[in-house]
Amino acid sequence: MAESVPEVPSGEAARLTGITKHFFGVAANEDVDFDLRWGEIHALLGENGAGKSTLCSVLAGLYHPDSGEIHLDGEPVDLSSPHQALDHGVGMVYQHFRLVDRFTVAENLTLGHPETGFFTSRRSLERQVGELGRRYGLEVSPQAAVWQLSVGEQQRVEILKLLYRGVRILILDEPTAVLTPQESQNLFHTLRALADDGQAIIFVTHKLDEVMAVADRVTVLRDGRKVGAMPTSEADPATLARMMVGRDLSVPERPRTAPGEPVLSIKGVTAEGDRGLEAIRDVEIEVRASQIVGVAGVAGNGQRELAEVVTGLRRPKRGQIIMGGVDITRSSTLDRIKLGLGFVPEDRMRTGMAGGLPLAANLALKAYRQPPLSRGPVLSKQAVEYRARTLEKQFDIRGVRGALPTSLLSGGNIQRAILARELSAQPRVLVAAAPTRGLDVAAIQAIRQLLIEEAEAGTAILMISEDLEEILDLSDEVIVLYEGQVMGRLPRDRADPDLLGMLMAGRTVDAA
Amino acid sequence: MNLSLGSRRLTVESRPVASRTVRFLAPTFSVALAFVIGALILLATGQDPVLAYTEMIRKGFLGRLAITGTLIIATPLIFTGLAAVVAFRMKVWNIGAEGQFILGAVASSGVGLWVGDQVGGPAGIVLMLVAGALAGALFAALAALPRAYLNTDEVISTLMLNFVALGIMNYLIFSSFSFWRDPGRATFPVGKFVEDVLLLPRMVGRLHVGLIIALAFTVIIWWALRYTKWGFEVMVTGDSPRAALYSGMRVDRKILSVLMVSGALAGLGGGIEVGGVLGNLDPRALSLGVGFTGIVVAALARLSPFGVIPVAILVASFSNAAPGLQVLGIPSEIVILLEGILFLCIVAGEWFLRNAIRVERMAGPAGAEAPAS
Repeated sequence: MAESVPEVPSGEAARLTGITKHFFGVAANEDVDFDLRWGEIHALLGENGAGKSTLCSVLAGLYHPDSGEIHLDGEPVDLSSPHQALDHGVGMVYQHFRLVDRFTVAENLTLGHPETGFFTSRRSLERQVGELGRRYGLEVSPQAAVWQLSVGEQQRVEILKLLYRGVRILILDEPTAVLTPQESQNLFHTLRALADDGQAIIFVTHKLDEVMAVADRVTVLRDGRKVGAMPTSEADPATLARMMVGRDLSVPERPRTAPGEPVLSIKGVTAEGDRGLEAIRDVEIEVRASQIVGVAGVAGNGQRELAEVVTGLRRPKRGQIIMGGVDITRSSTLDRIKLGLGFVPEDRMRTGMAGGLPLAANLALKAYRQPPLSRGPVLSKQAVEYRARTLEKQFDIRGVRGALPTSLLSGGNIQRAILARELSAQPRVLVAAAPTRGLDVAAIQAIRQLLIEEAEAGTAILMISEDLEEILDLSDEVIVLYEGQVMGRLPRDRADPDLLGMLMAGRTVDAA
Repeated sequence: MNLSLGSRRLTVESRPVASRTVRFLAPTFSVALAFVIGALILLATGQDPVLAYTEMIRKGFLGRLAITGTLIIATPLIFTGLAAVVAFRMKVWNIGAEGQFILGAVASSGVGLWVGDQVGGPAGIVLMLVAGALAGALFAALAALPRAYLNTDEVISTLMLNFVALGIMNYLIFSSFSFWRDPGRATFPVGKFVEDVLLLPRMVGRLHVGLIIALAFTVIIWWALRYTKWGFEVMVTGDSPRAALYSGMRVDRKILSVLMVSGALAGLGGGIEVGGVLGNLDPRALSLGVGFTGIVVAALARLSPFGVIPVAILVASFSNAAPGLQVLGIPSEIVILLEGILFLCIVAGEWFLRNAIRVERMAGPAGAEAPAS
């Protein structure tokens, strides 16, 4: 139990030496050393595919390393399952939460807990949850069902679950990816309180600001190897970025071309979500040629439905969508594609790509209908392959190995491939949903650069993103969605993170 | 998944792609294992497995009569196998090839009886076969329409429609004086025979040109799946229906067309069985489970159109050898048993294509590793 850790321990919590882990001949970790002290927040920084998740999974008992040793509290250990790791007090909060939606918070906590008997005292459990919650700022109602909770609250449940299980080494895999700026701040306070109580925390991220804001020390990984480790007091963002990427980074500059004609008009659109409730209500958005309109908001506030309504995957209940003077409200997805609508969906692996198919097929997903890829009903394999080779070169898509499934590519390369496919169709309107979510710094930069160039070339871009930095860097106009409604509409020069954060949390702001 | 055995640890990891060697070894071992298990069962029941297996090969393949008999039995299996391949490729589970095959036979024998010798041989045969394919397609559409537009479960609907088809056929011959029934036979009801000109030409012995048609359709299906826009859409929809919708494909129409093509293949198989082997609507000869065996054939062929041919021939050789085994005192059920064991072994073998087993020593990082599969 967590309350049985009254004295603050000191010294080494975990030491990993010479960790090597290969997947199918590719080194995910190569001779990585890592050490963690009690009472510290240790950031693990690196791009996607740098081996952060693998290293954490080794410590969490999910993967067994090919070679290398793990010491916990000075003792060598063999962790061959997450269960064993938990018994040693090591627990991980994954990016995708592992909670049972229909169960209450309390039920999720007891699930799989070794002391859970056939009968469990609900009252004592709820008392403990309340105590843990108060102590670390993890308040959440024990009786609430998980599906009723916001993403931030679900994350608290994940952390509570581990604390309740007696975990003293806490690993968080990109915990802020799903949070609002305010929620992230709260999480940082929680982590600090835990560290002050002697817990050891590994904080996986690729965001430099977060490292600087919350971590005591940082270890940087690149290409599966450790590049360096240092206290954050001795680090600065530019150095860390260089270590992470291996070269200097330049921030893409957004030139300001005067916007042209309105190309996409969303007029008073209301649509239902999957549960039959109104997911977006009376949404009004206009996007002009050469303009990037950013739609900000916390995940689950109607962004997905908005994108689907525009692209024809969802029928609106009311309202009108006009593209290039044509009313497309009732048009099929195919007709919209033919009119010049491009779409980068947020669900890359199942919507944006058929993950089990080779990349060449995925790059042909829309172009296969016309010559040169097909003539009449007949598809030209050579043309499909040739086009794939060309796009791979043009958009620098790497890691492609013949007929292997696309899902084996890294997130960044998959996203490049989706953009390659969409942009090569020369769209008039591009809807980009979470275009850089989960990507590494270099890929984010490349994708943003592509979007900027596309806008400069005259395309109207509707960019839906939960990443405020991205919204602020790229958008000409920012629209904030909250519970399916437009909370505010700000030109770029009047938008700032605090104002947007408040609008995203549903507070009306005079300036908006 | 981990399993500790003494000082060693077995680790199972999923592998995205199996190497060429594994893809060859897994099915080979599976087939070998099936025959070993079959031999053990034969031994346990006091039979001589060597005798049984040599007899199966002899009666299935050796000699003109054996091989033509096997190929005749294989022909309808190729059709129902292809029917399953087409549907399963898109992850649409047509379990109704049996019924579509039967209705194909009903329709083509009906058309055959109706045209008589009015249009001559070739035209009449084409009419019969087209009718068979059409009937199979339309019968499949009964399940396909609600699947495409109301998202009903096609497994249930196609499965249940098999019984409808069987009922229709039995009614036409046994329970009514229909157009199909031979009024001349009062004792045991049989179907009326079509004119001799409507029978499929024979090549060697009783082996009819249906086999050639089956091979032709194998090539057509292979080509259509691989080299047409339709095949591309089937592939994308099968892998990810959402990606298909997103790229503007009409998933509902694809479901409809795939199920109807699947039904047409099974129905054509039924028509060819009437025109090539039976000559009439014979309920007993048409309800031997050819549609269900087709599913097994497709699965063993790993949904490859060309794989269907050898598998269908192998399975057909079992059936062809069964009566011969009976004569030797070996129960003919052994072939059904072998079919089942073969299926289970191949399915189990599939697992090795998707997962790799590694053996490591627990002590120290320098543990030896060897892929065990």
